[in-house]
This record gives sequence, C-alpha cells and structure tokens, in this order.
Amino acid sequence: MSKHQINITKNVMTKIKTEQIKMKPKWYFLLGILSIFVAIVGLTIISIFLVSLVTFSLRSHGPMGIVRYQQIISNFPWWAPIIVIVGLITGVILLKKYDFSYKKNFLFIVLIFISAILLAGILIDVLGFDNFWIKKGPMRRFYQQYNGINNQERNNSGRGSRHF
Amino acid sequence: MKDLKKFTDEQIVQIVRTKNKELYLEIVTRYQEKLLRYAVYLTQDKTKAEDAVQESFIKAFINLNSFDLKKKFSSWIYRIVHNQVMNIINKHKKELPLLDNLDFDDGKDLELDLTKKEIQERVNKCINKISLMYSEPLSLYYIEEKSYEEISDILRLPVGTVGTRINRAKIMMKKICQNTK
Repeated sequence: MSKHQINITKNVMTKIKTEQIKMKPKWYFLLGILSIFVAIVGLTIISIFLVSLVTFSLRSHGPMGIVRYQQIISNFPWWAPIIVIVGLITGVILLKKYDFSYKKNFLFIVLIFISAILLAGILIDVLGFDNFWIKKGPMRRFYQQYNGINNQERNNSGRGSRHF
Repeated sequence: MKDLKKFTDEQIVQIVRTKNKELYLEIVTRYQEKLLRYAVYLTQDKTKAEDAVQESFIKAFINLNSFDLKKKFSSWIYRIVHNQVMNIINKHKKELPLLDNLDFDDGKDLELDLTKKEIQERVNKCINKISLMYSEPLSLYYIEEKSYEEISDILRLPVGTVGTRINRAKIMMKKICQNTK
C-alpha cells in the first residue's frame, strides 16, 4: 500500500508545483452561490406571477366558468402552468445545493416552498393586487389577453370588472 | 512550519490558500491512508480506489477556496471521495447485491449483544456482503470512527437516517455474518 501512497503524493504535489492544477479563486464560488440565490428568487417571483395569472384566467370567465369548458380551454395560458412546474422543479434542485437541505426534512422544505408560491400567487389574485396590471402598466394587454369573456366588455368600457 | 502536527486541518488549509500551496503535502499525508482504505472498501478494487483518491485530492485542491473553514475538513474531503467513488461505481455499473428483503427488528438491544470491538471485527470480515446504502455509514462509523454528525455531512443525509441505516446494517451483519464465522 505504501508504494501507491507515495505515487499519489508525488502525482498530486507535482501537479501543484508545476501549476498543472490551480486553485479556483474565492470570487468564483461567491459568484456561484449568488447565481443560485438569484435564480431561486427569480424563479419564485416568476412562479408566483404565473400562478396568479392562472387563477386570474380561471376566475375571469365569471360565474359558471367551469361550464364554459371550451372557452376556458381555448383561452387558457397553458404555457404558464408548464413554466410554473419547470420553475418549481428547477427551484427544488437549486435548493438542494444548499447545505441546510439535508440537515432538515427536505420533503418538508419542498412542500413549504411549493405551498408558499401557490398561496402567494392565489392571494395576489384573490386580494385584487393584479387589478393594477389589468388597468394600467405594461402588463395590461398581457392580462386582458387571458381575460376570457370580459375582453370585449373591457375593451369597450376601458375598465376592468371582477367576477366571483 | 516545523510543528505542523500542532496545526488543525483547517489551519493548514488556510495557510495553503493564502501563503504556501506546497503545504498541501501535509493534508495529503494526513489523509491518503484513511481515504484509500475508505475508497478500497467502497470500490472493492485497489486500482480504482487509488484513482479515486488521487482525483479527489486534485479536486479538493482546485476547490479549496469553496471550503468553509468553520466546518470540518475531514467531512469535506470524505464527501469528495464519496462522490468520486460513486461516479466510478455508476460508470462501471458494478452494483453490490441488495439485501433489502431481510426482516428487521428495531435493533434497540443490539449494542447489548455486540460490543464495538466485535462489531468492528465483523464489519471488516463481511461488510461487502451488505448493500452499499447500509454498509457505507456502518464502515464510516466503525472503521473510520466518524460521528453520526460527520457521517451526515459526508453522505448528505439527516442524522436520524444515518442512525437508522447503521442500526439496520448491524442487524444485517448479525444475520449474514453468523454464517461466515
């Protein structure tokens, strides 16, 4: 065994001395941690926004909206829940990169993460925070596109209406 | 730097990072035998184990600045070897037989039946007959003498899971090794 040990030592130290291998700088790792953090925050914000859009789209078809199945199907932003799912999966993978993920019950962390995003998205819509987007701002047209039966009415009157 | 033995691993790492790269030799010297033993156990192949350990030392040096000095260096380097060996095992698709269909009791009284020394002897004799999932924490605990907390850091498992796996591994050992005495 000692022969192999000497070889390992020699091989590793030769590579270090001849600079065949170099230590990565500290900023490289800080940048990595920062990127993961920004990615998680970004994915969270996008997911919350899209969940609120999905809730809005379903609700905006008004009472008996479920009955008007075809209309919902044709007008529903299918890409939004797909992006939400992809975002959540990526977020969970990124969360796993943090040290705390294995010390706690990771399933619990994931459930909290997903629940928080869904709850925040639904609350934004239910409490009417997205009304701002419907009435003005750069997202007005975007929201109205998914506003189902109310589109025509809103375009004519120039104001939004809420249906519960 | 005469009395290097007085320095902790973390202190040496700090010097390697900031002042003297060649002091990495001390790290290699301190760990190569332990890591080689651990890798040989995991791979059951000396050549692959040597490759894994050498590659791990290289990776550890390249990524030394990512090591958090507040944590234990030994857990960090063992984790690198674990990952390296798992890559090799996956590459060669050499799966150890899984013995998950064994019946388990809760293992609470097992310590009464087997002393630590007895278990160490049995671990050395027949550990390779148990699936890696259970035998790896067992070997880290009895052969490498790591604490549950350290094993949790090396295998990235909750401490509770480490305890459960070690207990189950001991029960498996008891059942399997009785026939190989």
